[in-house]
Amino acid sequence: MSNPEAHREKPMALLEAHHLTKHFGGLAAVNRVDITVEEGEIVGLIGPNGAGKTTCFNLLSGFLPPTAGTITFNGEDITGLRPHQIVARGLVRTFQLTTLFQDMTVLENVLLGLHLTSRRGLGQALWHRHAFPHDEIARSHEVLEFTGLASHAEQLAKNLPHGHQRTLGIAMALAARPRLLMLDEPVTGMNFEESQRIMGLVQTIRDRGTTILLVEHNMRAVMSTCERIVVLSFGQKLAEGTAAEVSTNRDVIAAYLGTGSAHA
Amino acid sequence: MKPKTVAMFFILGVVVLLLPHLAGKYYAHLFSLVFVNVILAASLRPSLLCGQLNIGHSAFMSIGAYTSALLAKKLGLPFELSLLCGALIATLVGLSIGYPALRLRGVYFAMVTVAFVEVIRLIAQIWVSLTRGMSGLSAIPKPSILGLVLETKTEQYYLALVLLLLVLLILYKVEHSRLGLIWKSIGMADNLATSLGVNVAGYKLLAFALGCFFAGVAGAFYAHFIRFLFPPEFSFLMATNILVYNFVGGKGSFVGPIVGAVFLSLLSEPFRGSPYETIFFSIAMLLTILLLPGGLITLPGKLASLRQWGSGAALSPTTVPAGAGVAVHE
Amino acid sequence: MTFELLIQSMVYGLSIGSTYILMALGLTLMFGMMHIINFAHGAIYMLGAYVIYYVFDQWGAAYFVAFLLSMLLLGAFGFVVERVIYRPIKGGIEPTLVALLALTTFLQAAGYPVFGPLDKDVPSVFEGTRQILGVAISVERLMILPIAGVLVLGLYLFINKTKMGAAMRAIEQDKEAAALQGVNVNVVNALAFAVGFALAAASGALMAPILKLDPMMGEQPLLKAFIIITLGGLGSIPGAILGGLILGFIDSVGATAVGVEQAFLMSFLFIILLLLFKPNGLFGHEA
Repeated sequence: MSNPEAHREKPMALLEAHHLTKHFGGLAAVNRVDITVEEGEIVGLIGPNGAGKTTCFNLLSGFLPPTAGTITFNGEDITGLRPHQIVARGLVRTFQLTTLFQDMTVLENVLLGLHLTSRRGLGQALWHRHAFPHDEIARSHEVLEFTGLASHAEQLAKNLPHGHQRTLGIAMALAARPRLLMLDEPVTGMNFEESQRIMGLVQTIRDRGTTILLVEHNMRAVMSTCERIVVLSFGQKLAEGTAAEVSTNRDVIAAYLGTGSAHA
Repeated sequence: MKPKTVAMFFILGVVVLLLPHLAGKYYAHLFSLVFVNVILAASLRPSLLCGQLNIGHSAFMSIGAYTSALLAKKLGLPFELSLLCGALIATLVGLSIGYPALRLRGVYFAMVTVAFVEVIRLIAQIWVSLTRGMSGLSAIPKPSILGLVLETKTEQYYLALVLLLLVLLILYKVEHSRLGLIWKSIGMADNLATSLGVNVAGYKLLAFALGCFFAGVAGAFYAHFIRFLFPPEFSFLMATNILVYNFVGGKGSFVGPIVGAVFLSLLSEPFRGSPYETIFFSIAMLLTILLLPGGLITLPGKLASLRQWGSGAALSPTTVPAGAGVAVHE
Repeated sequence: MTFELLIQSMVYGLSIGSTYILMALGLTLMFGMMHIINFAHGAIYMLGAYVIYYVFDQWGAAYFVAFLLSMLLLGAFGFVVERVIYRPIKGGIEPTLVALLALTTFLQAAGYPVFGPLDKDVPSVFEGTRQILGVAISVERLMILPIAGVLVLGLYLFINKTKMGAAMRAIEQDKEAAALQGVNVNVVNALAFAVGFALAAASGALMAPILKLDPMMGEQPLLKAFIIITLGGLGSIPGAILGGLILGFIDSVGATAVGVEQAFLMSFLFIILLLLFKPNGLFGHEA
C-alpha cells in the first residue's frame, strides 16, 4: 500500500473513484458516484438493472472515458488513461459476455493471455519466435490447475460449458497479474454448485493477495462472499455497507422491489 | 516436410529463377506484374489479421508510384532512393490517416479507406501541374541498381523477384513473431486483448503502416516498370481486388494471399484484353467464396478428405479428416 | 455564376439527388438489416438502365412499362442473390462483402460482351422545357422528382405501415428477438434484397434517358451512395434522404462552381472528416 501522507487520517485505498460521472447524450448513466476499495477486500457492486454497474466497470477500467470525476489507483491518478495502460498498472477486468479466443484450446487461451501480458518490448516482439517459452507453458498449467480447468486443457474454448467459459475468463485475467481484479457478473446464470465453486475460487484469489471488486445479480453469492457492498440505483450510490447492513436498508429494498426483486 | 513437397518447391524455385530464359520476354513482363500483385496482397494481410477491413491499399500504391516517378523524373533521384522515398511517403500518409481512423469500428473504417482511395485518385487527377492528371505521367525512367540501368524486361523481372522475396521474408518473420501473435489475438477478440494489456490501437496502426510501406514499394516498382501512370488505375476496383486475393487464397495462412494473387492474376491471363478476362476472374472469385470459404489453401485438405470417401475407407470415429481444423495459430 | 445557371444547377441537383436517394435508401436498408454494404448496388443501377434501353428503346414499349419491368426484374434478381449468395455464406460479413464484389465484377464485365462495346443512348421520354422562375428546365429532369418522390413515399409506407415493414424494423433492432417472435428472418432479408435492388434499378432507369449507358456506369453512383449513407448515418432512412439531397446539391451546384472532380473530392474529404468525428452521421444510431 502507498505511504500515507502525514496529515492523512487513514491510508489511501487501493482504488478510489471520486464523483465519477458519465453522460450519454442527456442521460446520466453514472452520477457523482464515489467508490473505494481497500487492498485485500472483496467488494460487491450491486443494483437493479440499468443502475449503471457495468458503466462503472467500463469507466474504472478505462474502456469508457468519464464525463467528470477522478479515479485513483494505488495513489496514482488514472483518470482518462487507456485500458491497456490501466492493465499495466495492475487493474484488470473480465467481461460480462463471454470473451475468449473461441477457436483456440483452453490451454492456448491461457498461454496467449500470459504471453500478451508478459509486457516485453516491441523490439523483442519482433525478433523472437512466438513458440511459447517453457516457463509460460508451466505457468499456464499452474493457472489451469488453480482454477480447476486442467482436465479441459485441450478442449476448444467455444465448446466449454458456460460455467467453465466464465472461469477461463477469470483465469486469463489472472494472467495479467492484477492487484485488483474486477469481475463482471462472474456467476450470473449459473446453478448453485457452479456459482459456489467460482465464488470459492474468488475467495482463494483474494486470499492469495489480489483485491476483488465484482458486479453481480446473484444475491446469495454477493451476500456470502463480499465484505462490503455498494448499491447503485439509477446511476447514483444508494447505500454502502456490510451484507447485513445493506440487506436491511430500506432504500435498497425499495429500489429492488420497485423494479422487481433480484433472485436470491 | 515430405520429400514430395520438397521436390515440388525445388522445381518451382528453378522455374521461377529461370522463367525469362525458359519462356521469354512476354512472360517475364507478366510475372513481374504477378509479383507486384503478390506484394500488394501479402502486405494487406497484417491489417486483415488485426481484423481491419482495409479497402484502401491501392491509394498507397498510387502514392508510392507517383512519388517515386516524380522524384526520378524531376529531381533525377536514383531508383533505390526514389523507391525508398515513395514507400516512406506512402507510410507517412498512411500513418496520418490511420491514426485517427483506426479507432473506428469495422465498417466505418472500411468506408474511410474507400473514401481515401477516391481522394487520392481525385487529387492525382486534379493536380495536373504535378501529375499531368488524366493525360498520364509518362517517360518514367527505368529502374536502376547502383547506377546500372535495368534495360530489359528480364533484368526487371529479377528485380521484381528480389523485391518480392525480401518483402515476403520480412512479412513472414513478422507474422511468426510475437508481433504477429499479438495481431492475431487482436483479430480474434480485440476487447479481450485490450483487457490483457495490449495497446490495440497502436498495434493496428503498426500493421496498417507496414502494409502502406510495402504497397508503396510495389507502386514504385510498378511506376518504373510500366513507365506510365494514369490516376484512374489506382481505383476502388483495384483495392477490392487486393482484398479478394486474400480471401480467395485464404485468410487462415501466410501463404493465402500469395496463392490468391498468383491464381487470380494468372487465371485472367489467357483472356487478357478480352472482356472474358474479368468474367472468369469474377466467376472464380464467386465460386471460391461459395465452395471454399476458407480459401484455396483449404483445397488440398478438402481433396484429401474427398479421396478418403471415394476410396471407401472406413471412417472410424477416431479418423480426423485431413482438412479439418485449419490452424488458427501457426 | 448567373442566376439562370444557379437555378438550373439547383433543380438538376435536386433531381439527381433524388436518384441518389433511391440508391442510398436501398443500401441503407440492407445495411440496417444485415450489416452488409451491398457492393453490387452499382451494377444493379446499371442493369436497371439497360432494361430501359432494351424494353423502351429497342422494343418500343411505353416508358412506364419498361420502368416497372426494370424494378420487377431486378427485384426478383435480389431474391435470387439472397438465396444463392447471401444465405449460403454463413461465415459472416467479410465473405459476403467479397462475394458481392465478385458479383459486381462479373456483372460489369459480362456487360461488355452482352451489351456490346459501344455506349448506348436512350431517347428522352419527355420533350421540352418548363419555365421555373423564368429559367428553362428540361422536363425530363423535372419528371424524375415526382417519380422518385412516389417511390420514396411508397418505401416509407411499406416500412412503417405494413406487417413486412414492421418485421424489417424488428430485425434491424434486434435480430434474435425478432426471430423469437416468429419473424422469418430469411424471408424478410430476401425482401430487403429485393426492395434494395428494385430501388437501385429504378434509379438507373430514371437516369437512362439522361446519361450514356455503359457497363461501368454504376461505379460512380455507388460511391456517391456510400457518401450519402455515411453522411446520413448507416441504417437511417431519413438520413439517406437528407444526405442524398445534400450530395445532389454539392454535385451540381458545386460541380458548376468549382468543377466536377473538385466537388467530388470535397465530398469525399468531408465524408472522411465526418467518419472520424461523427461516424453516426446526421441521423445514425449506434448499432
